[in-house]
Amino acid sequence: MRKEILSPQGAEAHPEGHPEGLAQAKKMAETYSTAELMAVFLARDLKDGEHLQVGVALPVPEAAVRLAHIMHGPNMELVFLGARMNVNHLDYLPLPEFGWDNRVVRWAESYSDRGHRFDQVKDWHKRVFFIGGIQIDQFGNSNLIGIGKDPRALKFRGPGSVGTPTLTTHVGRYYIVLNQHSARTLVEKCDYVSAVGWHRGGSDARAKLGLPGGGPKYCVTPLCVMDFSEQEKKMRLHSVHPGISVEKVIENTGFDLIIPEKIIETIPPTQEELFTLRMRVDRTGFLKNAVRD
Amino acid sequence: MSNPNRRERIESENTVAAWVDDGMTIAVGEPFPMALVRALIRRKVKNLTVICSGIALDMLIASGCARKVIAYYAGGGIGVPVAPSFRRAAESGEIEVWECEEGILTSGLEAAGKNLPYLPWRGGVGTSIPELNTDLKLIEDPINGEALIAVPAIKPDVAFLHAAQADAFGNVQHHGGPGWIDLFLHRAADNTVVQVEKIISNEQIRASAWHTTIDNADAVVRAPYGAHPFYSRGHYVQDTAFVQSYLAAAQKASNDNDRTDLDKFFNGFIEKPHSHAEYLEKVGIKRLLELYEY
Repeated sequence: MRKEILSPQGAEAHPEGHPEGLAQAKKMAETYSTAELMAVFLARDLKDGEHLQVGVALPVPEAAVRLAHIMHGPNMELVFLGARMNVNHLDYLPLPEFGWDNRVVRWAESYSDRGHRFDQVKDWHKRVFFIGGIQIDQFGNSNLIGIGKDPRALKFRGPGSVGTPTLTTHVGRYYIVLNQHSARTLVEKCDYVSAVGWHRGGSDARAKLGLPGGGPKYCVTPLCVMDFSEQEKKMRLHSVHPGISVEKVIENTGFDLIIPEKIIETIPPTQEELFTLRMRVDRTGFLKNAVRD
Repeated sequence: MSNPNRRERIESENTVAAWVDDGMTIAVGEPFPMALVRALIRRKVKNLTVICSGIALDMLIASGCARKVIAYYAGGGIGVPVAPSFRRAAESGEIEVWECEEGILTSGLEAAGKNLPYLPWRGGVGTSIPELNTDLKLIEDPINGEALIAVPAIKPDVAFLHAAQADAFGNVQHHGGPGWIDLFLHRAADNTVVQVEKIISNEQIRASAWHTTIDNADAVVRAPYGAHPFYSRGHYVQDTAFVQSYLAAAQKASNDNDRTDLDKFFNGFIEKPHSHAEYLEKVGIKRLLELYEY
C-alpha cells in the first residue's frame, strides 16, 4: 500500500486531528519563492501525454515537469539523461543533485543506450523542451556560445550549445527559463545564436529556414512571463509576477518589449500546488530558498 | 572454456597512455574514464585535439595537453556554469574551439564510423555555429533542396571509455547502458581503450552476450573506482565535494591568476601517484566507500 502524503486536503479532512499543523501549513503556503512561482506557471502549461525534456542545470523546469506529472499528467513521459520515465505514482520525485546525477533515472523504462538519442527526431513534435541562455534576444534566439565581437577573443566564453540547436529545431514547442531578468541577458541581438527562436522575426521565420519544430512559446524570468506576438514574433509581456511593476520589467529588458494594453498578474501557486511541490518534488527546499530576483 | 591461444588485451593505464603522441586526436567518453585521463595527463603530451566535455575536459586543458577542443558542452558544475580553465583558455586563444553541438558531433563521428566524408545534419541551421566553425558546410540537399549542414568525418586516434566490466579479449559490457556518446566514439576511433570496474571471465560474457556493448576493444584496463571523482552506474556516485574542490582551485587559477591550489591538485592527485592504485591510496578507502551506492 502506498503511503498517504499529507496535503492541505488531507489535513482538511481531519481538522480536529491537526488544528495547529493545519494553521501552520496554511501560513506556510502564503509565502512562496519566485522560483516556485515560475515552476508552477510552467507546470500548468504542460499537457498530459507530452514528453518533457529539460536541459542541463535548470532546476526550475526540472521541478515544473515533476509537478505537472503529479498534478495532472499521469501519461507524461519525463526524459532525462536519455532515460524515459513515467513515475507519477511515486511519493517522491527528487530533483537531480547535479547535472549528470544518474540516480534520478533509476525508475527509467528505457534508456537511449546505443547512443541513438537523436535517431527519432521525426517524432519530436510531441516533445517539449526547456532551455536557458547567457543572452536571449527579442525574437527568442538564445546564446550559449559567448559574448564579444571577436570570436577568437571573447569577453566571456559560454559553456557551449549542448544539444539545444538540434532540440529547438525539432521539438513541438519550448520554453526559455532564466534565473535573472536583466538588460545584459535580454538583449536586442545575441552576439552569437546557438538555438534559433524566431530568427529575425515573422511567423514564417522558422519555415523559411526549414526548421520543423514549433519554436519558443514563453520566456519565463524572475520578473515576468513573456510570449511572442502573432505576426512579428517579437517578445511581448504576458504577465508580471505579483509585486513587480511593468516599469521594472521594461527597465531591466534590453530591447523594446511589446506591452499589451491590459496587464495581467502571474497567478500565484495554490496551496495544493505548493504543497505538492515542496513535499513530493523539492523536499530540500532548493526552489523555496532560491534568492528572489 | 575460452580459446587458450587467443591474445589477451589487458593493459595498464600507463601502457595505453603511451599510445598517445603529441598532436593526436583523442576522445573521452562519459562517464569519464578518469584513470586513463590521469595517466594521459601524467604523460605530459602536448597539442592534442580533444573530444571531451565538462570537468575532464577542463583538466586536460589546465594541464596543458589540449590545443584544439571539440566540445558540445563545457559546463563546470554547481554554481560554475562554465568550466574555468576552458573559459580562460578559450578567451585567451590558448585553445581553439571547434564549435559544435551534440547532433553535429555525433554526425561527424558517425560519418567516420561509416567511412563517409560527411553526414548531413539539420540542428544548427540558422545558428552561428557554421559561421564559427568553417569546417561545417551549409549545403542544399540534392533530394529535396533543403538547407542542411554537412559535418565532416571526425576520426579520433584513440577513444578512452569507462564501463562496468569486460573480459580479457575486449568484450565490454556497460552497466545500465553505455554513456550516451561512448559507442559513437568507439565506432569512429582507430583504437578504443576501455577501463572497467572489473575484469570478468569469457564464460560470463558468453552467458550474457546480449549485454555486450563493445566487442572489439583494443585494450582493457583494470580500474575499480576508475571514474572517481565522477560516477559509475551501479557502482558509486559522484564525489561532489572533490569535484567542487577541483573547481575552486581551477577558478582561482583562471579568475585570480593564482595557480597555487591547482598545481597542488595536479601534483598531489595526478602527477605523484604513478598509477591508478596509488591514486586510490591517496584518495583513501574511507572516502571511496562512502560513495559506494547506486
